[in-house]
Amino acid sequence: MTSQYLTETRVSQPPTLAKRSGESTTVPENVLDIAGLTVDIATPRGTLHVVRDVSLHVKRGETLCIVGESGCGKSMTSLAIMGLLPKSAKRSSARFEFLGEELSQASKSHVNDLRGNKMAMIFQEPMTALNPAYTIGEQLTEHYRHHLKASESDARARAVSLLEKVGIASAAQRLGQYPHQLSGGLRQRVMIAMSLMCDPELLIADEPSTALDVTIQAQILRLLADLQKELGIAMVLITHDLGVVARIADRVAVMYAGQIVEQGSAAEIFSTPQHPYTRGLISCIPIPGRTIPGGKLGTIPGVVPSLLGDMTGCAFRDRCASALTACPGSIPVHQTSQGHQWRCVLEPTEVAAT
Amino acid sequence: MIAYLVKRLGLAVLVALTVSVIAYLLLYLSGDPALAIAGEGARQADIDLIRKTYGFDRPLIVQYGDWLLKLLRGDLGVSMYFKTDVAPLIFSKLSTTLLLALYALTVALVISVPLGVLAAIYKNSWIDRLCLAVAVVGQSMPNFFFALILIMLFSISWRLLPVSGSGTWQHFVMPAITLGYYAAPAFMRLIRAGMIEVLSADYIRTARAKGLPTHTVIFKHALRNAIVPVVALAAVQLGFLLGGSIVIETIFALDGLGYLAYQSITFKDYPVTQIIVLLLSVIYIFLTLASDIANAWLDPRIRVA
Amino acid sequence: MKNNKALYVGCGLLLIIFCMAIFAPWLSPHDPYFQDLTYRTVPPVWYEQGTWLHPLGTDQLGRDYLSRLFYGARISLLIGASVAVISGLIGCTMGMLAGYFGGRIDMIVSFFVTTRLSMPVILVALATVALVGSSMWVVIMVLGLLKWDRFAVVMRSATQQVRAMEYVAAAQSAGASTLRILLTEVLPNVLPHLIVIATLEAASAILLEAALSFLGLGVQPPLPSWGLMISEAKSYMFFSFWLIAIPGTALAVLIFAINLAGDGLHQWLTPQERG
Repeated sequence: MTSQYLTETRVSQPPTLAKRSGESTTVPENVLDIAGLTVDIATPRGTLHVVRDVSLHVKRGETLCIVGESGCGKSMTSLAIMGLLPKSAKRSSARFEFLGEELSQASKSHVNDLRGNKMAMIFQEPMTALNPAYTIGEQLTEHYRHHLKASESDARARAVSLLEKVGIASAAQRLGQYPHQLSGGLRQRVMIAMSLMCDPELLIADEPSTALDVTIQAQILRLLADLQKELGIAMVLITHDLGVVARIADRVAVMYAGQIVEQGSAAEIFSTPQHPYTRGLISCIPIPGRTIPGGKLGTIPGVVPSLLGDMTGCAFRDRCASALTACPGSIPVHQTSQGHQWRCVLEPTEVAAT
Repeated sequence: MIAYLVKRLGLAVLVALTVSVIAYLLLYLSGDPALAIAGEGARQADIDLIRKTYGFDRPLIVQYGDWLLKLLRGDLGVSMYFKTDVAPLIFSKLSTTLLLALYALTVALVISVPLGVLAAIYKNSWIDRLCLAVAVVGQSMPNFFFALILIMLFSISWRLLPVSGSGTWQHFVMPAITLGYYAAPAFMRLIRAGMIEVLSADYIRTARAKGLPTHTVIFKHALRNAIVPVVALAAVQLGFLLGGSIVIETIFALDGLGYLAYQSITFKDYPVTQIIVLLLSVIYIFLTLASDIANAWLDPRIRVA
Repeated sequence: MKNNKALYVGCGLLLIIFCMAIFAPWLSPHDPYFQDLTYRTVPPVWYEQGTWLHPLGTDQLGRDYLSRLFYGARISLLIGASVAVISGLIGCTMGMLAGYFGGRIDMIVSFFVTTRLSMPVILVALATVALVGSSMWVVIMVLGLLKWDRFAVVMRSATQQVRAMEYVAAAQSAGASTLRILLTEVLPNVLPHLIVIATLEAASAILLEAALSFLGLGVQPPLPSWGLMISEAKSYMFFSFWLIAIPGTALAVLIFAINLAGDGLHQWLTPQERG
């Protein structure tokens, strides 16, 4: 695997805005385009910096996987995008464009109109995501009727067609059933159908298969991939499982301690990961086709740093095998012409991950 | 659901029977029931007459059994003081008390639901503390004191409402407010606690993620689930309201069961008192049974088992 | 703990009322039973006709209201405490037995609780006091015998929880007797919740006694029960509002203080509800 780094541009500046090299901002291509997203949460012990200067973009028909361990801020990022942060959280961004429209100063009612309508989200735990007091049909149709001012019968018809599309048999009967009458896998399919009701441009899925049986996991992921291909939706999939990423991602963003430490196409990330954390992650898990049978799996020693108070320099330096004296200082953002970015003081390397 | 119903019904009947025993034995608290009814300073001939009329000279079991059987047949005896049959006397007053209790329950809910929802949404803020303060004050004042203040304000100073009697709906306003305000805090706390728990549930996050308007999320999704224990409490409180209406009815001379109970005690018409005790208990038992059933029905997990 | 204003304010108020009650003989300017018919229905000192001789005025029989207020505190506190203790003993015993042994004993106790809950307390209390004879101690006994239900319910569930803990099993295997286990293992862990319930029941008992006395079937005159004072002043209230306002407010403040302290205690014991 030859590297393409002959034409790299090394950008030595403090990590604020990530510039996209050469690309003119063709707005319609990017469904979501965020730069400098920061989320702070006020707690009695100080300010928690859960999301720090996150920049990402997703195109139509593209799957971006945000991957990282728990507590890295990936869920918070998705909640920030959807506008579902808790009251104690403060969000700020240099750029927050959705379908070409700048949303960082948008009114709550405008964001409400978009939510569930043009941008939808499904969550990790299907067993508790549905209101036990109402039927499936009611919960499928209520936001469709609200956002699109549709009639009851239109909404029900659409609900039935979507239930069938997600692979639920006897869809019409299901409308009258209650959540407790469905299994976890079925409920998650219902959640997927629910998210698609208003024909969204962006779908955010936060660990959609984690809480399900292993056999059902694969089904749900395949379902998501098929639906995306068919409907051309932009999808952001959040996971801690690199196996999922390998299966479904077009592009990958690796998050650590609130920051995106590396971002690029799936091929790039897996073949030539640049950030020590990414390398560590890849070496930790067996990936079919890459890991040498009989070889050793790596571990990343240490624990995630605290997100309280001032955070300068590289958050990974205490656990990094290649840490240098420059690491506590400001960290440059590297970028290639293909859009592969990472934050590190180290020189880019051509050594592939093991 | 059927099995559950049968079990609950059986328990209710058993409790009712036990209460009937206690109600009957109340008369013997003073030692000699005939003397209690006749009063101090009554002539021996009167006491003996009473003893014979009510059959107090028979064995206790026979007395109780006879009383119970008569009750079940609908024969509630005759009131010594009012000199009429007890049954029509009681049932004519019952509707007044039931009406008062329902009005009071409405007042309590009208006060407590908004306060409880507000307190839950703005948890731990000054709004929350204010709502709690209103609740605690409501429970701290003796209800008869509150009633007297209301009378001073609405009847005497502003001449808006009548002081006593039970002719029109205006007669029910102050009694209902007094009773309802006292019951409100319990509801408010329950709604607040229920809403706080429900608002942090995943399905609320789902509802918000669908872009539903805030009022829909709070009332359609959250309150619907938080209200379940309130239904149970409503039945219980209705029972308390029925029993606790004595003082209020007496102050306002509202011609209901509570006032009748007070009169029967004051005029030593204890057999009437017994029946009222039993009646109120049976109503309470029935109400809790109804609320248990309503609860089970409200939860689709039990209804569509 | 520092933010627990409820606890501090509530306990502070209670302490003041306690002192009023305990030091009543020294604080009262007059004998609460002494009727000075030349000074009937004198208004409190902040009215025009008021006098510092009777800072809170006098009632319709010329008795000094301030003194009656202080002595009335004794009655209310005595009733609250006694009823809490009596009903607490009954309820805790029943609850502990039900929670510890489970099975049939639990069924029986639960049945008793359900039965007791079905009965209208104030009506039964009224009838009982009327039949047995009304006096302060009869009121205390009747209320104590009627108000044990919440103790029983709370004790039962608390005992069940504690019983499932390991140290009880350890004590059992060490051969400790049931009574010993109940007293040394169960009780100390349940005590905080008991105290919260006790405050609530005491407040409720004080209000019940006030209501009974108000209806004439509680504490008998000339005892200065605050409820009785309101009742006696009923017919004068239009012209001498302070006659009912003072004892009424005193009752409200006392109950408010108890509720506040109980709330504060509850907050202190269940920290998960804070913040």
